[in-house]
Amino acid sequence: MIAVEEVSLTRGNFTLSRVSLKVPEGSYTVLMGPSGAGKTLLLECIGGFKKINGGTITVAGKEVTMLPPEKRSIGFMYQDYSLFPHLNVEENIAYGLKMKGIDSRERTDTVDMLLSSFSLSPLSRRYTGSLSGGEKQRVALARALATKPSALLLDEPFAALDPDARLSCMDEVKAIQKDNGLTILQVSHDRDEAYRLADQVVVMDKGVILQTGTPAEVFSYPNHPTVASLAGFENMLDGTTGVSEGGRTQLLIGKGSIFADGIFPGGARVLACIRARDIMLTDPAMVRDVPLNRIEGEVVSTVVTDQGYQVRFADPFSLTIDIPGNQLSKVYRPGDRVVALLAPEDVHIVRLPGSPVNGGSAS
Amino acid sequence: MRFHERFAEKNRRYSGNSLAVFWIPGMILVGIIVMALLVIAIPVLRNPEYLAGAASDPVVFQAFLVTFLAGFCAVGILAITGTPLAYALSRTDAPWKGIVETLVDIPLVLPHTVAGLMVYLLFMSRGLLGAPLGEIGLTFEDAFPGIVAAMVFVSIPYYVNAVREGFGRVPVQLENVARSLGASPIRAFVSVTLPLTTRHIMYGALLAWGRAIGEFAAVIMIAYFPVVISTLIYYRFNTGGIAESQAIAFLLILLCLVLFFVFRFLTRRAGVYDDRS
Repeated sequence: MIAVEEVSLTRGNFTLSRVSLKVPEGSYTVLMGPSGAGKTLLLECIGGFKKINGGTITVAGKEVTMLPPEKRSIGFMYQDYSLFPHLNVEENIAYGLKMKGIDSRERTDTVDMLLSSFSLSPLSRRYTGSLSGGEKQRVALARALATKPSALLLDEPFAALDPDARLSCMDEVKAIQKDNGLTILQVSHDRDEAYRLADQVVVMDKGVILQTGTPAEVFSYPNHPTVASLAGFENMLDGTTGVSEGGRTQLLIGKGSIFADGIFPGGARVLACIRARDIMLTDPAMVRDVPLNRIEGEVVSTVVTDQGYQVRFADPFSLTIDIPGNQLSKVYRPGDRVVALLAPEDVHIVRLPGSPVNGGSAS
Repeated sequence: MRFHERFAEKNRRYSGNSLAVFWIPGMILVGIIVMALLVIAIPVLRNPEYLAGAASDPVVFQAFLVTFLAGFCAVGILAITGTPLAYALSRTDAPWKGIVETLVDIPLVLPHTVAGLMVYLLFMSRGLLGAPLGEIGLTFEDAFPGIVAAMVFVSIPYYVNAVREGFGRVPVQLENVARSLGASPIRAFVSVTLPLTTRHIMYGALLAWGRAIGEFAAVIMIAYFPVVISTLIYYRFNTGGIAESQAIAFLLILLCLVLFFVFRFLTRRAGVYDDRS
């Protein structure tokens, strides 16, 4: 397990403020956040490359706060893999074993085993400059695992790979993590990576942890505008809460209003987060009697996507709406009058900082 | 040729014809160097007896030996002290870094006579360093250590700046990874950073050595004797005339060309990885 408690660090204008997170033993945690959130800095603090101003870091039950990186038993992998270019694949993998004083026979056995299990045997004499992205990643992983670290820290390990290699590498890493019961903390800014890999997602921004949970929890029920943005809500509408009744709250947005599930205090500034795929678009004449969340407006623009097409809708407020490919019976064009329909349970409310917090219960 | 070398080659070569625009002014400089070599070489080759005389002169041989040996000692001292300094400078953002960098560059901007005066005042028998070192039997005035001290002083920026540039090209992440794999800071430096800086270290050493063996003013101010080659050329120019000094100069050029060529040939493959960016 990796336990970070109340870790603080100031670097120029940037501050990690009392950051706490736990990566359970044998689990895969993905640390997300926008650029400049402090993700890599936090990883480097855990790795021991940056001295912290306060707090404690525990790895596999041992406090490592004051220990240098070489005594922490934490594997570290950077985005560019940081392979040693003056050593060949075999020597790269053997490096840690050599540093730890493992005798040459045991070293050779371990390296051979890793070369074979990572399908690197044919590349063992190659220098790292001539390897593909995926091969480099396998070498970096094998090198990090050779010394049997208690935990592995990965800094955007898939960012430099082409899309095809990315998916297979992610599956490989996940399989290795599961098979070996590894404790992994990985930095990422990609939601798909988190869904594919993570048992737990931690979102941070500006040096502060904003939300922790399973990928489904964090991305379905974000508690902060930054998390909502990472969660990929195409519609994030600024609004104010109105009256609440029947377990629903009215939200005043632009010149219109919608209802969302949950009771919220009136007059609070909130963000209504709605996924583009959860909005249905239809002709006004077809749905005259729908009482709730019937928003009549105009198509502003349309864009073809690989799943169908996307409509920008405006007046009384802007919405982005995905029309799936199997519902292409009617193609809307800019200027068409349309109605957007939306279920109240699909509207997720995020309180904006500074708004009243008492009395609310989100969906 | 490895993949990244081929890639670097491809990216380096110019495919257009307009490179001539760059060659023409550039050739003025090359032309001056060639002409300078010819005005030394032609008279010497026309009168080979001077060349034979210089080559068999024990004083000339002695001067070459002292010069090259002092040059190697100076580079050795720079390697031991300048390499850590270059590394520290490349890895710090401390506010006083600029001050240290300026101090390191001082020998570069000073007239050689001023550098000589500074070395003399520092290392003379009553000097700040000369006096205590004299106590342990190390004298600098008119002695071999004096030549080495002057050579070290004038070559500091050449070595330190070249090596610092090399260290700056080794990403600190490589050292971090080495540390996470169990290497202490020193072992990470020796096993990762140093090999990746080999080419810059060799280049810095070559520059410093070339600068050191060519030093005249700073050397004669602290140690006229034992005579180094530049002092001997100047002395023969004043006493024996142009022909005598030309012959020794020609020998020096020949030796340096051979040494530089051999050095570059032997080290052409060393440290190619430090061009990684």
